[in-house]
Amino acid sequence: MLETVAQAVINGLLIGGIYALVSIGVTLIFGVVKVVNFAQGEFVMIGMYISFFLANQFGIDPLVSLAVSIPVLFVVGVLIQHFLIRRVLGPNDMPQIFLTFALSLLLLNLALMLFTANYRTVHTSYSDEAFHIGGLYIPEAKLIAFVVAMALSGALWVFLHTTDLGKAMRAAAQNRDVATLMGINPNRVFCVALGIALALAGAAGSLLMPFYSAYPFVGQVFVLMAFVAVVLGTLGNVIGALIASLMMGVAESLGIQFVGADSGLIVVFAMLLLTLAFKPTGLGGGRAR
Amino acid sequence: MIMERLRASTLLWLAIAMAVLLALPLVVKSSFAIDIFIRILLFSFIGVAWNLMGGYAKQLSLGHAAYFGLGAYTSTILQIDFGISPWIGMIAGGGVAMLASLPIGWLCFRLRGPYFTIATIATAQALMLIFLKFRDFAWGAEGTTIPNLGSAPLMMQFETKASYYYVVLGLLVVGLAITSLIERSWMGYYLVAIGEDEDAAEAIGVNAPRIKRDIYLISSFLTALAGTFYTQYIYFIDPATAFSFSISIEAALVSIVGGIGTLWGPVIGTVLLETTSTLLQSWLGNTIGGVQLTVYALILMAVILWRPTGLMGMISEAYQRYIGRKPAHA
Repeated sequence: MLETVAQAVINGLLIGGIYALVSIGVTLIFGVVKVVNFAQGEFVMIGMYISFFLANQFGIDPLVSLAVSIPVLFVVGVLIQHFLIRRVLGPNDMPQIFLTFALSLLLLNLALMLFTANYRTVHTSYSDEAFHIGGLYIPEAKLIAFVVAMALSGALWVFLHTTDLGKAMRAAAQNRDVATLMGINPNRVFCVALGIALALAGAAGSLLMPFYSAYPFVGQVFVLMAFVAVVLGTLGNVIGALIASLMMGVAESLGIQFVGADSGLIVVFAMLLLTLAFKPTGLGGGRAR
Repeated sequence: MIMERLRASTLLWLAIAMAVLLALPLVVKSSFAIDIFIRILLFSFIGVAWNLMGGYAKQLSLGHAAYFGLGAYTSTILQIDFGISPWIGMIAGGGVAMLASLPIGWLCFRLRGPYFTIATIATAQALMLIFLKFRDFAWGAEGTTIPNLGSAPLMMQFETKASYYYVVLGLLVVGLAITSLIERSWMGYYLVAIGEDEDAAEAIGVNAPRIKRDIYLISSFLTALAGTFYTQYIYFIDPATAFSFSISIEAALVSIVGGIGTLWGPVIGTVLLETTSTLLQSWLGNTIGGVQLTVYALILMAVILWRPTGLMGMISEAYQRYIGRKPAHA
């Protein structure tokens, strides 16, 4: 029994690392640009397809193709901020919500048109390998994904706290007007925020590829999880999103283990609704807006 | 004075439009064409229901499929298990939807802006999961067909598509009449005030939580009627169609493309989007998945980036230019 729980917790933490990359992206964009990116999941999907095609056409390992998916999606993020999101920034929520929503709809259906709804998988040498510690089973591909995800999250934290650009981003997140008065160029900061957030989503996609199938709707799974984690972890809070994502992963995994294989989503929704009902400002406090 | 004169000409136009719509099935006999007209009227109606809350009060729900599904399931369960006519079931479904909107609204209205939207998506998806999982009272994932009784108007089953056309036309007229009444009432002004700036509206004494609750009740009631109609029309129900996310999307989409927070916006938006989708299907066939939504997404992006007031905004600007006046800024 105890072993089953421990195994479920480990499984949850490992996938929670991937959720964290997606959630941190969502919370970073929300914190800095004050826009919720409904399309974040679709960039995970794009990251997965990049790794799939590189593996399929050139035999490149998905972990190596991180070196492609991260910079490509960074540039995509900068372009999306500069050409799309910049035009709808303002006090009105409607254009922001439906612009990123339309983007999600567009990317998802383009993928459906171009790649069909088939499931694509990549088989690597370590896809079936696992470590056995005591009675516990730790799949190698998931462990690598978790470690890299934590390393990327840590690198982002260091970036935000030690570099000038990172500090400028945090300043813009705290008070855009004052930051602008201090000589921070908001659009440049926003472009970097979008770039980093999408790069993290792309990295999540590449890291998933050795043990998860790519299909056009795959992003929906992750974005839903990310939204819950971001609400739970207080909007705009990077550390909060990280901790909440790991919690979500564990909760989902325990739900699958003890309620039923198709109950993962129900547990997630239950968590979201409970959070909204009792702690709409998230575990870290702050305002609900 | 001006209002009175405008009213007379508006009434004339309405009468002409109504006469054309009533005569349409008598002239057009193709059941393919009638089917498209029914889709246009149905999604216009769903858009009108969404627009009451999403358009005027800017509470941007993407979870209206919850009420569509509840309406559909209530009338179907009443019909199959208890033999009750869908006409009564339709109203009952509206009642169930209103009851459901109270706790859902209580949860979701705690959040604003994008997080309200996410919460509404989650509640609709959660309802779909419930109907998928509990097969005892709602047939689970397989769904069920509605028993075909032939011509049974009292059970909302008709032999000709034209009869369905008149039913959904009636629904749309009711929806537009309610919108028009609300638009002219204090409630309409309160809704617009909340949509513009909720904090400011509250500061001048608008009871925002109550107004939002009330408009959510009306909006979910109307959406549920559409659910019953649709199920009766296609003779089939399952959680994936009844709680389909694409219903929630289309409700919002037609309103935004047509003109958010305007009486006729959802109708104009539906006419554009459904016509586009029909043309696409006849050109490309149904072979490539995703084409229709790709085009919808592009139209939505274009409207948001260049014409946030939608087609209604374009039409009224063109009209103002035509009669030589400056456009009135809302």
